[in-house]
Amino acid sequence: MEFCFLRILKLTMKVLVMLLLFLGNIKNSTAYFSSSSEATMHTNNWAVLVCTSRFWFNYRHMANTLSLYRTVKRLGIPDERIILMLADDMACNARNKYPAQVFNNENHRLNLYGDNVEVDYRGYEVTVENFLRVLTGRHETAVPRSKRLLSDEGSHILLYMTGHGGDEFLKFQDSEELQSHDLADAVKQMKEKGRFKELLIMVDTCQASTLFSQLQSPGVLAIGSSMKGENSYSHHLDSDVGVSVVDRFTFYTLAFFERLNIYDNASLSSLFNSYNPNLLMSTAYYRRDLYQRHLEEVPVTNFFGSVMETIHTDSAYTSLTNKNFGGAKTKTFLGQSFSSSDINSVRNSDDEDQFNNLTAEEDQHDEAGQCIFCAMDSGHLWSFILGNVITHESVDFFVCYGLVLMLPLLVFSTWLSL
Amino acid sequence: MFHSVICSESRKLIAQYMLGLDAEVTYHNFYPQLNQFHPLHFFTSPDSSIISKNISCASIGMNTVGIIRAPRGDGKEAIVLVTPYNPKKVVLGEALSLGVAYSVFSLLSRVTWLAKDIIWLVADSQYGEYSSVSAWLREYQAPQFHRVVVNSETCNESSTIEGKLYSGFRRAGTIAAALVVKVAEDGNHFDDSLNIYAEASNGQMPNLDLINIVNYLAVHKQHLRIKVSKMWSLLGSKWLNTLGVVLECIGQYARRLNPQWKFGIPANEYVEGTATLASSMYYQGLGVPTGPHGAFRDYQVDAITVEISPKVSPTKMNRHIDFIFRGGRLIEGVVRSINNLLEKFHQSFFLYLLTSPSKFVSVGVYMIPFALLGAPLPIVAASLYMFSSKTTPQAPVASEVDFSLESWKWINSAKKVFVIHLWGVAVSLLPYFLCRIPGLTPTNNLTVWGSFAVLSLVILFSMLGYPTSVAVPSEAEKREWANLKSVTLSATFIGLSLMSVINFATAEIGALLIVPFCLMARPLMLDIQARSMRTLLLATCNLALGFIAFPPCAFLLLKSAFDSSGGYNISDYWNWMESLWAWNSATYLYIGIVHLPCWALCIHILFHPS
Repeated sequence: MEFCFLRILKLTMKVLVMLLLFLGNIKNSTAYFSSSSEATMHTNNWAVLVCTSRFWFNYRHMANTLSLYRTVKRLGIPDERIILMLADDMACNARNKYPAQVFNNENHRLNLYGDNVEVDYRGYEVTVENFLRVLTGRHETAVPRSKRLLSDEGSHILLYMTGHGGDEFLKFQDSEELQSHDLADAVKQMKEKGRFKELLIMVDTCQASTLFSQLQSPGVLAIGSSMKGENSYSHHLDSDVGVSVVDRFTFYTLAFFERLNIYDNASLSSLFNSYNPNLLMSTAYYRRDLYQRHLEEVPVTNFFGSVMETIHTDSAYTSLTNKNFGGAKTKTFLGQSFSSSDINSVRNSDDEDQFNNLTAEEDQHDEAGQCIFCAMDSGHLWSFILGNVITHESVDFFVCYGLVLMLPLLVFSTWLSL
Repeated sequence: MFHSVICSESRKLIAQYMLGLDAEVTYHNFYPQLNQFHPLHFFTSPDSSIISKNISCASIGMNTVGIIRAPRGDGKEAIVLVTPYNPKKVVLGEALSLGVAYSVFSLLSRVTWLAKDIIWLVADSQYGEYSSVSAWLREYQAPQFHRVVVNSETCNESSTIEGKLYSGFRRAGTIAAALVVKVAEDGNHFDDSLNIYAEASNGQMPNLDLINIVNYLAVHKQHLRIKVSKMWSLLGSKWLNTLGVVLECIGQYARRLNPQWKFGIPANEYVEGTATLASSMYYQGLGVPTGPHGAFRDYQVDAITVEISPKVSPTKMNRHIDFIFRGGRLIEGVVRSINNLLEKFHQSFFLYLLTSPSKFVSVGVYMIPFALLGAPLPIVAASLYMFSSKTTPQAPVASEVDFSLESWKWINSAKKVFVIHLWGVAVSLLPYFLCRIPGLTPTNNLTVWGSFAVLSLVILFSMLGYPTSVAVPSEAEKREWANLKSVTLSATFIGLSLMSVINFATAEIGALLIVPFCLMARPLMLDIQARSMRTLLLATCNLALGFIAFPPCAFLLLKSAFDSSGGYNISDYWNWMESLWAWNSATYLYIGIVHLPCWALCIHILFHPS
């Protein structure tokens, strides 16, 4: 009789745990289903910065790109997530009055070519082929990781290009062209391969807006320095260096960002509205019909920095210790199944928690308390992941109720086993 | 002896200054090229092998050349600065130009931005500025390995600093562009200004971008006034001013009708533009380089001469440093602009006429008036041929054979035209023999030349059977002049077309002179017989045109138009022709082979008995 009752109790326990797990899995699976759509969290930032022109008199294009490089780095995108392509080496050109230095202003206060510049593609490596390979991720096997765009469906990518362009093309290296449909094809491919969540294409060239005409993929926002039939002009000539050092569009973009730091909340619309056609001598054009969010609500640091939405958790420390505990426990077990632990870290912790639950299920009932705590903590983590689906207050509520429910059961079972 | 000491001392001084800047310094010895008439060398550069061997050390020219290597450049290209300088007679202008060049050179030896090597050529101008530069360029571009080398040891009497000098000829890369720097001797009293000379041999011009660079930097950065040569006599002429005012009015009226039409320019600008255009056309048409820059153009190197003309004469100037500073900054700017280029100049025009330092007429535009001027020639020739062949059947035709002969009648005229052209060739070759005879003054030369020309022409006509006016001419002979004129027009057209390819400006000026005469020429006898107002006017026009188109008269007219300082001598014509052949100008050939025979044929038609 006692035995039978114990069995029933065990069964109820199992049912309870299973119920908890099931609930958790439901939440988890919803997250997996929506991974291909917009509901994926923005988890990382990448930048691809391209200067497409050669020769000394195109100094300004290299200075444009290096300035943008410096800005995105300052706003928090690390070097390993920036692909920098420079078609020529102005810094070491014999005509450069300041060897190994590049300036974007005639006041020469800021050397853009300091110690900490990592150029990924340089000189004749900057070709249309390599550019498309970087975007689509179809590299030869020997290409090192530092030269690849290792983005995922949670990535926000900034694609900045400058050079000489025309109606629906951008010239690369004086010998080849990137056409608007090439760009559109590459972006479409990226979308289908889940290589970005959102993509901001920024182009500073003559007739830049024509380059966006073929784009179709959702989540793409594009801004160009000039409309069709317009030229993009350089900002000023540095008589000391002997050439123009920066283009107008980039100059005013940089002027906008110089006022910002990593904590600022300026929106994309404030950036786009900051362009004055009289100062640019061209009309900045942005295409937003493929982009779902309101530009007023999107901070510029979403693209130009590495600032992501953070979620407040009440019990950060317990969650952290548990995560450490779980990680330590499962390392050998899960080692081979997750390759890029860096990028997938959030989902990884998911799986670790699942594993924790599985171990809890196999535990004896006298460890159930711990198991329940595990479950409670993992509930916390899920809520961290799910964010929008169920707010963590309701989960807390749910868990507290479960705990209260458990207590009489625990008392009852100990009384029975006596 | 005293001169030679000064020479060597000044050369040594320059070399020492160059060495002080860590430049590679060499001397370049050359033989002065004697200007001789080489009938077969019109389109080639003169061969250096025809140097007479007995030249002493004293008569050898010696250029001083300093080269700065670009510290980070690849050494494949170079920019040349030239300062002509006569060590035997130092004038302050030349010394100042050396100062300007030295200041630029010393700056360039320190800068970090050089991508092209800099060559500073101090050209020994005691035998002319052009010949020293061209001798150096010949050595630079076409080294001769089996040549009688001047023994430099015996000629370099001083050898105190020679140890540091490089022996032999030093080169840098391909010459991208060259700049000849001069300082004018006399002040112009108005403003510091800059004269630009760009015409090279046979009307070739440097790329327009080079002139644009100098113009831009001088006007906008150094605030110098830029001047190109003008035909001063045109500036004061009343009819041109009136024309300018009329055009200005039309332009204003047109703009009122449609604001898009902006062809009206102020009258004074129009007059100045015309004067500059006329001068530009004259100097291109002459085919003689206007300075040492011409030597570079022979090797397809863009070069111009800039002559800085200070407000006060250099001898009275008390702010030499300021002057050198301004000139130096201009030269530095130009050198840096060329240095920053990746290729030779190729974006802009090579065929153009200047109407002001910043405006030009490009080939596409100036071809139109020439084409319009030339187009009537073949048309009139064809119509005259039709006229003569139509009228001949009026004469009784004996047989079929005669008729076919009639249609080949132009062969006769063609033979005549051909012979006259041969005469032209002979006349142009005659000066070659005349210069061999020593001790002849220009006037004597000209007299011999002229009398030979006339004599040979008379002999030729008598051989060809000049139709004497004694016998009553037959109907066929009456019509012969039409045939002759038809062939003459064709020959003129061919000659002008060929010349327009070689030197457009010459062809244009030549066409202006000869085409109206060719078109209007008809036997005076016909006009006199008709005795109407119109025909008499035509006859007068013909005579006037015939007078103007005669080469010596045309020369004197042009000369009087250009320099108003009087004193015209007929011997000037000989000197002018001599300078043309000495500079291998194709204009000489044009005058001898196209212009003169066509003129003679037209005169022949004019006095044809009809």
